[in-house]
Amino acid sequence: MDETVAEYIRRTVLKIPRDEIKSMLQKWGFLSEKQLQTINFHQIKENVSQDVVQLCEANSADIKQAAVLDIIYNHIYPNKRVWSVYQMNKTGEETEIFDLTDFKKKFKRQLQSALKNVTISFREYEDNAIWIRIAWGTPYKKPNQYKTSYVVYHSQTPYVFISASVLKSNLPLLCQALVLASNYHDIREMELRSHSLNSLKDIVFKRYSQNFQTYHPRPLQERNVAPESTDVRIIQENRNEKERIQRVNREVFGDGPQPKLEFAQYKLETMFKSDPKMDVLDKKEPFRCLVKFYSPHLLESLKALAPAGIADAPLSPLLTCIPQKARNYFKIREKKGLFPGSFVSP
Amino acid sequence: ENTEPQRTAFLLRKQWTLYSVTPLYRFCPARLRDYARLLSAFIAAEKQKGLAVEVGVELDIKVAVSSLPDLKGSDQDQAGILVQLSLRSPASRKNSEEKLVWSGWFCCVFGDDLSKNVPEDFTCLPLFLANGAESYTSIVGSWFQKTFDCCFRRLAISPLSLSWMAAMWTGCKVDKTTSAMELVFSVPCLPYPLDISYAIHPEDAKALWDTVQKTPGEITQEEVDVFMDCLYSHFHRHFKIRLSATKLVKVSTAVASAHCDGIIKFLQSQYLTGVLMLLTELAISQIQ
Repeated sequence: MDETVAEYIRRTVLKIPRDEIKSMLQKWGFLSEKQLQTINFHQIKENVSQDVVQLCEANSADIKQAAVLDIIYNHIYPNKRVWSVYQMNKTGEETEIFDLTDFKKKFKRQLQSALKNVTISFREYEDNAIWIRIAWGTPYKKPNQYKTSYVVYHSQTPYVFISASVLKSNLPLLCQALVLASNYHDIREMELRSHSLNSLKDIVFKRYSQNFQTYHPRPLQERNVAPESTDVRIIQENRNEKERIQRVNREVFGDGPQPKLEFAQYKLETMFKSDPKMDVLDKKEPFRCLVKFYSPHLLESLKALAPAGIADAPLSPLLTCIPQKARNYFKIREKKGLFPGSFVSP
Repeated sequence: ENTEPQRTAFLLRKQWTLYSVTPLYRFCPARLRDYARLLSAFIAAEKQKGLAVEVGVELDIKVAVSSLPDLKGSDQDQAGILVQLSLRSPASRKNSEEKLVWSGWFCCVFGDDLSKNVPEDFTCLPLFLANGAESYTSIVGSWFQKTFDCCFRRLAISPLSLSWMAAMWTGCKVDKTTSAMELVFSVPCLPYPLDISYAIHPEDAKALWDTVQKTPGEITQEEVDVFMDCLYSHFHRHFKIRLSATKLVKVSTAVASAHCDGIIKFLQSQYLTGVLMLLTELAISQIQ
């Protein structure tokens, strides 16, 4: 077995949490159950990985098999990578039946004709998701197994999730290969990025609980919900406002859990407006700002702002539109015309 | 501003942790070499006791204490004092390379409020800045505290002071401004913490400040409030979030950046003294 393959397998196993190693190796299926039983999975990970490498040596593992183990790892722990969402477009109405074999053949051919040295591995999952692992080389260098790109393509949809890794220069080639192999016309990057692959899927596949688009004031309704801890300092006025905020929040964010995003960015090119009495800046050019929001769970923390008294309810549509617009990068300009107070996001 | 850029260039673009220091008893600026020797012996003793820092026990720590004559505001101020710790490799004690591992300096820039009220035996150097491992800071601080009967305390910077810095530094003329004026806010009391970075193009921020500031060379609290309110209301107009209800934790401009935990970075030598004057004032408030 090639030394580099041995080292690659060793490092991949070391990444796996100790309690998960056995089940991941079983999923991999490269080592027999009998072989797996000879490994003591309770020893320190260094030793476990050495044992695994020795068994792989006995079975003459090559890089193709090692790559499959890597796909399995990334499929179970996708949140270690940052994923961007791309959408493919077709011209015309023909809906062809998706042919997996044809797709794989065309994809491989595209990449291999451009770059002689590239390792391409596929794995299909039940939800029609095709996982593609690509290790990039050059015409003169063997593929670097540690600098891989991952593609998750749901064949029944026009969406592709790509975790490109450091080698961004290969991205155009990758996109072209995807378009040609899937019989689409072109592909564009959506302004949507996150560590949470499942949340990105929730957003583009509309799998989260949708909110109402407009805010209709409604009279208070009876609810069979136990009242919150009654703080005697909350008088009727405050309680009404509290309930209004909760209700508006529910309308705007929906009832279910929010998709998990870590980041939102807004490039503002709007005008600075102030109270004329204040006698401050009155420029005809935009007041250029860059605003970034960071949180381990951005949408949940935004949802909590109004009840905490830090924001108005309803929260600005610039923030609440993130799931339905399926983007978390925005450029905001002033909308010209009748309603100078509203914004346009191209 | 009469600071010679070359002599203080080494202070720029490094992250300094801030402390306030009470007046030093019987500190003699002429005995810096002696102090270096004594501090060196102290560090060696601490290492013997096993309280020292680095794993490499063989490494020799060299201590240098020098004066920074340019770091002062008025003539009444005591000149700045710099302490540097370097590691010497054991191979050859004499001519081997030395690696600077820790720096700390005391200064007082327009500290009249403190120095005028203090008896003769005391030296006022209320501001201390440290760069390097916390463990070294601790050892050096202990020696100074023992030797000069003074007290070091971390200097926190309040959101109010950060707002002053934002306004003041935005107004400074800088040759090539590529750095935005950035304010960072933290909203901790939520199910998931939220951080907000609000960066404004430096020309636009300065244009706003220039219309707020009425008298050049003078800044009032009211002007700072108006400036910040303008920024907050621009933000609110877009996002419906009240930044005034969150905690301002960091301010970054082309002149300097400051964090509420008491961390500063100087970026322009021409404004070094100005920033130090503000920090000296904060240190003195904390002492009194």
